[in-house]
Amino acid sequence: MEASQSDNPNFNPNPTPIGNSLSSSVPLWPTIDGPLGLSEEDALSYARKFYKFGFALLPLLWAVNCFYFWPVLRHAHSFPRIRRYVVASAVGFSVFAALLCSWALTFAIGGERLFGPVWNELVMYNLADRLGLTGWS
Amino acid sequence: MAQNRRPQSVLDNMGEEIVRILAPVSLCMVLVVILVSILNGSSATSSVSSIATMAYSETSTDSSWDKFIGALLNSLAFVVAITVVTFVLVLLFYFRFTRFLKLYMGFSSFLVLGFLGSEIATFLIEHFSVPIDCITFSLVAFNFAVVGVLAVFMSKMAIVITQGYLVLIGVLVAYWFTMLPEWTTWVLLVALALYDLAAVLLPIGPLRLLVQLAISRDEEIPALVYEARPVNCDHLDPRDGVTRRRVWRERRIENSNHQTDSNLSDESNSTLNANDVLNSNLNVSNLDGTHDATNLVMENAVSNPSFNSNTSNGICSDRNLVSAEEGQVQETDSELSAPLIDHGRNVQLNRAEEAANLMLEGIGLASSGGIKLGLGDFIFYSVLVGRAAMYDFMTVYACYLAIVAGLGITLMLLALYQKALPALPVSITLGVLFYFLTRLLLEVFVVQCSLNFLMF
Repeated sequence: MEASQSDNPNFNPNPTPIGNSLSSSVPLWPTIDGPLGLSEEDALSYARKFYKFGFALLPLLWAVNCFYFWPVLRHAHSFPRIRRYVVASAVGFSVFAALLCSWALTFAIGGERLFGPVWNELVMYNLADRLGLTGWS
Repeated sequence: MAQNRRPQSVLDNMGEEIVRILAPVSLCMVLVVILVSILNGSSATSSVSSIATMAYSETSTDSSWDKFIGALLNSLAFVVAITVVTFVLVLLFYFRFTRFLKLYMGFSSFLVLGFLGSEIATFLIEHFSVPIDCITFSLVAFNFAVVGVLAVFMSKMAIVITQGYLVLIGVLVAYWFTMLPEWTTWVLLVALALYDLAAVLLPIGPLRLLVQLAISRDEEIPALVYEARPVNCDHLDPRDGVTRRRVWRERRIENSNHQTDSNLSDESNSTLNANDVLNSNLNVSNLDGTHDATNLVMENAVSNPSFNSNTSNGICSDRNLVSAEEGQVQETDSELSAPLIDHGRNVQLNRAEEAANLMLEGIGLASSGGIKLGLGDFIFYSVLVGRAAMYDFMTVYACYLAIVAGLGITLMLLALYQKALPALPVSITLGVLFYFLTRLLLEVFVVQCSLNFLMF
């Protein structure tokens, strides 16, 4: 006869909408940590700083930016100001990673046939031997 | 019929909380064991010279008694150095040189991640003959080190990244420590466990002083501390989200104290100073709810003397100076143990849930805040297991189980006594005991059983 629920004041019919895929609702928190992360204002300054410092040969910082603000990246129309920097970081990281991987693979696969004796100068284990880095001294 | 959600008991989340601190400790140990078994298979005895070996360098031709006395002298020198450094840290903190300490911590992290990390990576490259060139390698190492410094230095980096980098710092320093000679390592571990016990529990102990200072000023100690993600953040509301975040962040210790000791060697070309943050086991329960006006903060800090780390409300910091590149390596570990701090504030017991939550907070396992463990604990547990790995995997399993049991006992003692407790002694005692029992007694038994095809 009596209703058996909704009497509980703690009953929460709407959990946090971050994981709600039925509606394309805007996520509540811009960072991947959710409520433990940043608020939107702080997030903007962090995203901007990560983006700018990434230009100092730090593509990993761009990757961290994309990872940290993953909800912004994933939901296309959320947090427009933050999204600019995050998308730019993602583009920058992809470009840099593509360049670096292509260079590293060329070096590894080409080997001495492609580079000649320079290869032996550049490869890490020879260099470490020469500079004496492989011992604890 | 009204249904009330039953108040959560202690047991609901205790397992989750403990697992969230055991997982990174186990990960650190596993990585060190892997590194040791890969890299030490090739070279038989390669030891570093550091402050821990300045009194005596072990050679394989010495008699057992000589080795033992030498190891005792080494450990004594090391513990004295750590005590001195810890007292210097307390002094610096007392005179409010917090910014200097923070910078030092960042600098040490950079050195550990950059130089020590590169060195170990170079070993791995040589071992596997990876055809990587120096340009790519230096770029990757630079990125790794800079992002790592930002992760441990900045307050609001992604939690996963910060935790990952702290574990990596622990792995690197622990691997470096396993390069010490064998007898010295074991005696050093026991000596550090005793030092931890003294520094935290004695009234003149430096770690206890540091924690009391931090509590009295209500400040954070800059230190490297691993903080586990709090368990119950699902019910967090956007309205009180900011409050909880701030509260949790306040308890986080991001800075690490690094203190560099002057290099003893004359010809030290490059000095690598790495400070590892102390081991502190800090249970922070902070009830900063929206609907109840209670603000009860109970901080349990278990400090391990290993590194200097400042964490809010008493955390141990260890400083580890490592000069790796050329010249001698000098290590100084100062351990700060953060005593368990118990703030009693005004508590309004209005509802049953509040009371339950208070009880939960009493043992540091309430709904907010995560368990904190200082980085020195990580490091010395891993050193023990790494050194056990140098003998055989049987000792690894035995020591791992012993350390995990010791950590569990420490957490329970923490909940029981509600004051600052050192996390090293119980685990190290059990670990060392199990190592020697396994090596001397169990191995013979198991090997003979296997040789004679006796299974049970």
